[in-house]
Amino acid sequence: MAKPILLLSAVLVAIGLTPISFGTASPSSRHVHVRARSYEYTPATIDVQRGDRVTIELESTDAVHGLRIDGYDLELRSSPGQPAQLTFLADRPGVFRVRCSVTCGPLHPFMIGRLRVAPEADLWRAGVLAVVATILGVGLGSRRNSRPGQRPMATAP
Amino acid sequence: MTALRRASSRFAPQREHPGGGTPAAHPAGNPVGGVPKGTAELGARAAVGLALGVPLILLLIWWLGRSDGVQLIRARVAESGGWGPDALTAQVGEPLKLRLTSEDVVHGFAIGHNRQPGIELPPGEPVDAVLIFERPGRYVFYCTRWCGPNHWRMRGTIEVTGDGPSAEAAPIPAYVALGIDLDAPHPAAVLPSRRPSVDRGAALGIDLPTRYRSRDATLGLGPSDLWQALRDDPATRDLADSQVWDLTAWAMRSVVSGESLAEGERLYAENCAACHGRDGAGEAAAQREPAHAAAEGETHAVEPVDFTDASKMLGASPALLQGKILRGGMGSGMPYWGPIFTEDQLWALASYLWTFQFEGWL
Amino acid sequence: MNRVNLLRWPTVRAIVRSRWPQLSLQLLALAGLGMLIVIGLVGTPVGNRNLAIAAIWIAWWAVLMLLAVPFLGRGWCSICPLPLPGEWLQRGAILRPPAVRDEQAAGPRGRYRNGALGLGLPWPKRLRNLWLQNVVFLALALASLSVLTQPRTTAWVLMVLAVSAVAVSLLFERRSFCRYLCPVGGVIGLYSQASPVEVRVIDQALCTRHTEKTCFTGNSEGYGCPWQVFPAALRTNVSCGTCLECLRTCPYDNVAVNIRPFGDDLLRAERPSLDQSFKSLLLLGSVVVYAAVMLGPWGALKSAAANVGASEWFAYAAGFLLVTVIATPGLFWMAASLGRAAAHLRARPLEVVRAFTPALIPLGMAAWASFSLSFLLTNLSYLWPSLSDPLSAGWNLLGTASLAWGPYVSGISPWLQVAILLVGVAWAAAHVRRIADRLGGGLRLAIPVLAFNLIPAVGLLWIFVG
Repeated sequence: MAKPILLLSAVLVAIGLTPISFGTASPSSRHVHVRARSYEYTPATIDVQRGDRVTIELESTDAVHGLRIDGYDLELRSSPGQPAQLTFLADRPGVFRVRCSVTCGPLHPFMIGRLRVAPEADLWRAGVLAVVATILGVGLGSRRNSRPGQRPMATAP
Repeated sequence: MTALRRASSRFAPQREHPGGGTPAAHPAGNPVGGVPKGTAELGARAAVGLALGVPLILLLIWWLGRSDGVQLIRARVAESGGWGPDALTAQVGEPLKLRLTSEDVVHGFAIGHNRQPGIELPPGEPVDAVLIFERPGRYVFYCTRWCGPNHWRMRGTIEVTGDGPSAEAAPIPAYVALGIDLDAPHPAAVLPSRRPSVDRGAALGIDLPTRYRSRDATLGLGPSDLWQALRDDPATRDLADSQVWDLTAWAMRSVVSGESLAEGERLYAENCAACHGRDGAGEAAAQREPAHAAAEGETHAVEPVDFTDASKMLGASPALLQGKILRGGMGSGMPYWGPIFTEDQLWALASYLWTFQFEGWL
Repeated sequence: MNRVNLLRWPTVRAIVRSRWPQLSLQLLALAGLGMLIVIGLVGTPVGNRNLAIAAIWIAWWAVLMLLAVPFLGRGWCSICPLPLPGEWLQRGAILRPPAVRDEQAAGPRGRYRNGALGLGLPWPKRLRNLWLQNVVFLALALASLSVLTQPRTTAWVLMVLAVSAVAVSLLFERRSFCRYLCPVGGVIGLYSQASPVEVRVIDQALCTRHTEKTCFTGNSEGYGCPWQVFPAALRTNVSCGTCLECLRTCPYDNVAVNIRPFGDDLLRAERPSLDQSFKSLLLLGSVVVYAAVMLGPWGALKSAAANVGASEWFAYAAGFLLVTVIATPGLFWMAASLGRAAAHLRARPLEVVRAFTPALIPLGMAAWASFSLSFLLTNLSYLWPSLSDPLSAGWNLLGTASLAWGPYVSGISPWLQVAILLVGVAWAAAHVRRIADRLGGGLRLAIPVLAFNLIPAVGLLWIFVG
């Protein structure tokens, strides 16, 4: 019972962790205009290709906002009427949260967007790993039942 | 007190039967009559008192820290109250100590008619400032970081009393002296077929009479009026209409200094672009969402003007533009900048606006 | 032998039985609570620069969800400051009980008083369950975005809880507030079943022969169980607050503090009561909504959730309740019923549902832990400026008053969250399988429930890395 489960799990994990290199368009220069308003970014998701030279233009509409990209550790800030720009190379694939870096109100820590650098399959991988986890758990659960019934043993001090 | 001690526990203990089923127990730490109010208990009570006292001490520290001669000012968006307090007093020559704290978004603090840069107020972080006034009078302080649709309403006053030369009286605005009605429509009488260019106008090499090269003489002349005057002048007889437009642009440019335009550009970016747009078209970020604006009670009969609209702009004289900036109040939420900008700054801004009409203006 | 009694080491025994170590931690917590209430009231209203918000919702909550509950079970409850003032008033003492001078004059409470001040009313029988805590938790959850970001609101919530705890202590017996009202306690209690720590008796036969049951009634060494449980009858951690009184009152040293396998209680929770089952579902639904609102990209949703009392908030509240009270339990019911039908079980649907809810404990705990980790790593840097300037007076005690915000390990933090969540998924799957086997339904019974588990898991994964 254990071996097939482990084998299946190993295969799925391997699938889950394989880097993706197909389906890539050739990198280009991209200019993305992001509008920031308490408490969201528009567009909520910035879609680029791996290898693109991305220029983000941040335009705040109601107060001073910032934009900071997880994983890339890039940051810019903009005052309404004074958009700011930042150019970087999107060399890391995946989905990265984009967070506001200037306190813009009570819900500021929850002002979140996304940068998606394709090709990526972060969610797919995580989903596959969740299924693997389920299968492993099921395997372990059935093993547990095969042990004699549990009863807390007394332990003298 | 006895009433409070009425016992109603459902779990009464069992009476101990002598020789009954209770096995031998470890000797209890203490016989009947423990050690209720021994030193240990008193020590514990003292510790509890200390633990409860620490927050009170903290409160006391806070209270004492508030009254050390510093004026606390909180900054909130105008919809939540703006500056609190917004009316201060000071004495000539005596330092006015302020502790400014923003309570929501990034604000800024600056005094009108003062060339010193504003102090940025990051939310939650108190910033100390000391102001010393040399002249009595009424000063206006305002927010320098766009913080919402009513950002321009975030203003307060400082009344300074004492000995000293009083501030110079504000000069009579040019539009008043020239008798210009700011609210009357000013359509351009003539429109160019293409955007006039300052560089092309300069390249024409025409020697303009001095009356067109004097700032004061041309204050009341809008571009289309100036074009008409130039058109009627014999020196431009051989020029096409569009070339006269180029000449007009160059003539207007030649009475303005580069530094003034640079300042105008900076002031525009910091103060005007949020409503009027970086491209001057009036469809700017802060105005872009009418539903949002309406929800905040900011419905205006008039939208911010489009500086790229030639029919309006080319009929406006520099004095008219400066007057509108100074006075505001066109039913569009346009602030009155008179108390904030100096005369020079107002003219710099007004002059900058032509960049939306003329090529090569900057 | 799968248990180790920590009390077998004399040092541990001495520390645990003595009241002073516990009291010291309690006093620290009490002073901290008081200070944070003051700071919440007088400090800046900017949440991310107010120590009340940073210390409680970033630091304390993360420690609770990531360390205290998964590893120490009800450990926080043993030092929680909220019930203490009321309890001390109730007892008339801080340390061991003051005894009555005249034995004969002792009242029904026995020779060693469990109550000096207060009416000592028994908690109403109908409310001796988690339902009231469920309601209080939901009420707090609906206002959570306001509580989490507004220092004044946090301060008021803490004050209300503290005053309620005292009031309940003066009206009702023992720690009725902790057991039946405290919203945090309800969560901790349920999830403590997954932890590797427990307080249990060593020899139950000994307890049966002991007529006085001083663990429940108290003696000169200590008070009867404030949590109103009978230690010998404890099967799970849900109602035991690890207050350690029974260690002190048992004359036979028959109470142990055991290290045991993680989640051992879940093996014993064969059919949790309806209130516990419902709470497991409630918490699972709540964490998904929390993640969607706080970590998602929808600004309008956040504003609606924070604007308590506005019309858009009512819409949000309706949605929240729909998901947590109706959709999550409803979907779970359907999954369990589907499995039951597929496996041709004769047990009633509700029984099958209740039997499976223990599997939601590890899943829920992992979900809350992974959600809290995100909150911690992203916002921990707000703690340093708040510590430097706790009263928002312009101080700079640690030199970090103007430190810029920055998330920590932002590149890998989403995957740390995924890892924690997946541990919960696997653990829950193991329990689903075990329960399905015990019910006699095998994989056919298990698969729909496993599928249900994947719904909140994938939802959270989408918020974390999608």
